[in-house]
Amino acid sequence: MPIFQSSDFKGAALGVAVLIAALLPHVASATLGQPEITVQSDAARTHAAIKSSEDRTGYRVHEIQLPSGTVMREFVAPNGNVFAVAWQGPTRPDLRQTLGQYFDAFASAPRTKLSDRRHLQIQQGDLVVQSGGHMRALSGRAYLLSAVPSGVNIGDLH
Amino acid sequence: MVSMRAFRLGLSAVLCLSAFACGGGGGSASNGGGGPPPPPPPTNNTASVIVDAGPPPNNSSVNTLFTSVTICVPGSTTSCQTIDHIQVDTGSYGLRILAPVLTLTLPIETLANGNSLAECTQFVDGFSWGPIVTADFQIAGETAHSLPVQVIGDSRLANIPAGCSGTGGTEEDTVSTFGANGILGIGPFELDCGDCDTATHGLYYACATSCTDTTVPANQQVPNPVTHFAADNNGAIVVLPSVAAGGASNVMGSLIFGIDTQTDNASGTETVLTLDDNAELIVNFNGQTLASSFIDSGSNGIYFADASISLCTAPPSDPTSQIVNFYCPASTLILPITIQGMNGTMTNNLTFGVGNTETMLNSNFDAYPQLAGTLPAGNAGTFDYGLPFFYGRRVAVAVQGAMTTAGTGPYIAF
Repeated sequence: MPIFQSSDFKGAALGVAVLIAALLPHVASATLGQPEITVQSDAARTHAAIKSSEDRTGYRVHEIQLPSGTVMREFVAPNGNVFAVAWQGPTRPDLRQTLGQYFDAFASAPRTKLSDRRHLQIQQGDLVVQSGGHMRALSGRAYLLSAVPSGVNIGDLH
Repeated sequence: MVSMRAFRLGLSAVLCLSAFACGGGGGSASNGGGGPPPPPPPTNNTASVIVDAGPPPNNSSVNTLFTSVTICVPGSTTSCQTIDHIQVDTGSYGLRILAPVLTLTLPIETLANGNSLAECTQFVDGFSWGPIVTADFQIAGETAHSLPVQVIGDSRLANIPAGCSGTGGTEEDTVSTFGANGILGIGPFELDCGDCDTATHGLYYACATSCTDTTVPANQQVPNPVTHFAADNNGAIVVLPSVAAGGASNVMGSLIFGIDTQTDNASGTETVLTLDDNAELIVNFNGQTLASSFIDSGSNGIYFADASISLCTAPPSDPTSQIVNFYCPASTLILPITIQGMNGTMTNNLTFGVGNTETMLNSNFDAYPQLAGTLPAGNAGTFDYGLPFFYGRRVAVAVQGAMTTAGTGPYIAF
C-alpha cells in the first residue's frame, strides 16, 4: 500500500499546519502512540508553539518550540499516529505527557553498574528511549518499535 | 562577575609578587621595623581526588572521580561536616549533597515572597529533587561563604511535584540511586541554568503548601562553587596519572583551584580549546564532524557511534546486561581523533583506545582508560569523551569570562 500520495499529503499537511496556526497559536506536545490531533492538546497550560511542519518521505515532522527553550520534534506516521518524539535543549519536555501510557515503563527502567548521568538507552517492550548530553544541553528521543513506518531510518529521528 | 573577580585576582597576584620582590632585599625574617608585613602564605588550593569503587551500598562505580568537601552551617566554625565520595564533575554546575549523609541542618533559601526554594535537577538518565540551602563550603584551603547548595532527598521538602517527576527517568534521591554522596559541578559556566532569573524551565520551584515552577534571582541559584571562592576562582585543574590499558583501582590525583593565580596552577604550553555556549566543542572522528561534542569528567567512558566496532553481546540469561551498548572489539583498537575548539585550535596526533568491555570488567577495577560505548544515532553530532580523557593529563577548565595567560574562558586546556 502506498504510504502517501505525496502532493496530496503536502497539501493536507500545509492545511493542517495553517489550521493549527490559525486556531491554536499555543499548542502543546503530542503523545507517543496517539493520533496527531493530540499535538494540539493541553494548549493553554504549556504555551508551546509549532514552529514548522515538514513532510519527509514516509512521515511528517512537527517542530515545536517550548517556552523553556527546548525544541521538540514529533514524527507522525501515515496512519496519523505519533510514532516518535525527539527533544533538544536546556531541559527535557514534560515526558509524562509526551510518552503518555509509556511513561511508567520509561521512569522505572533499571540502572546498571555502568550507568552514569550522561546516557540512557532503554528498551521496554515496544518503547525505546535514548538520551544523552549534559547539564544545560540535553537531547533524546523516544519511539515505538512497531510503529516506525517501513523504510524510515531511525537515525533520522532527531 | 566572574571576570571582575578574575581581574581582582590577577591584581592581587601581581601585588603579591611585588611584595615578594620587595621583601627579598631585606633578607630578615623579623618584621620589627617599618617594612611591609610579610605576605600571607599562599592558600592551599589543591584537594586530593580518587577514582575508586564509590560509596556504599553500591561500591560499584566505574571511572568516577571523587573528592571530599567540608560544609558548615553558615557563620559557624563548629557545626561542620566533612563528606567523602563527592563526585567531581566538569560537566555540571554546583554542589549537591545527598540528604541521608548530611548530619547538619542547613537553612533553606527563601524567595522574596517567603516561599522555600527547591530544585528539580535534570540529569540525562533521571532527576534529583530537593531544597536549595546555604552553607559555608570548604575544600583544600578554599572557602565559599553562604553558598547555595542543593540537598537532594531532603525530608523537609519530600513531595516531588508532578512537573519534576514528569521529566522522567530514575529518581536519584538516595546514595544508591545517585552513586555518590554528592556531586561537585565545576563546569565552565557559573550557574546551573542559563536564564532561570527570567524564565521558568521546570528546574527551580517555589514551595509553600505545594511547589510551583519559578524564576530565581541569579544570586540564589546553585553556582559552580569555584566561582564563589575569595581567590583561585576562575577555574580548576584536574590532574590524574596514566592508567594501565587494562585498568587499575584507587587511582589518585589532584584537583587544583584557580588558573594562573599561584605557582602550582600556572599556564604553560598547553593546548587551549575554547567552548561554545553549550560548553561543547568539535570532534573530527572517522570522517565525521561532530559539533556537539564534549570532554567531561562526569561521563564514565568514551561514548561515540561507530557501526564498524563490535558491540558486546548480552548473555541470554541477562538481556539487560550492563555491557549492552558498550564496545567489545576482538582486540584493542587505537583510533585517531582530532578535537577542535571554537578558537580554531586543534589537537595533534591524538588517539584513544577502545578495549573489550566484557574482558575489562572481569578484572573488577575502578578505572578503565579504554572503556567505550555507543551513542544512539539520535545523538547526532556528539562525541562524549569522559573520564578516560583525564588519565595521564592535566586538564584545566576555565570558567566563562576568566582571563588567564592561556586565554579567555570558557575553555578547556591540557
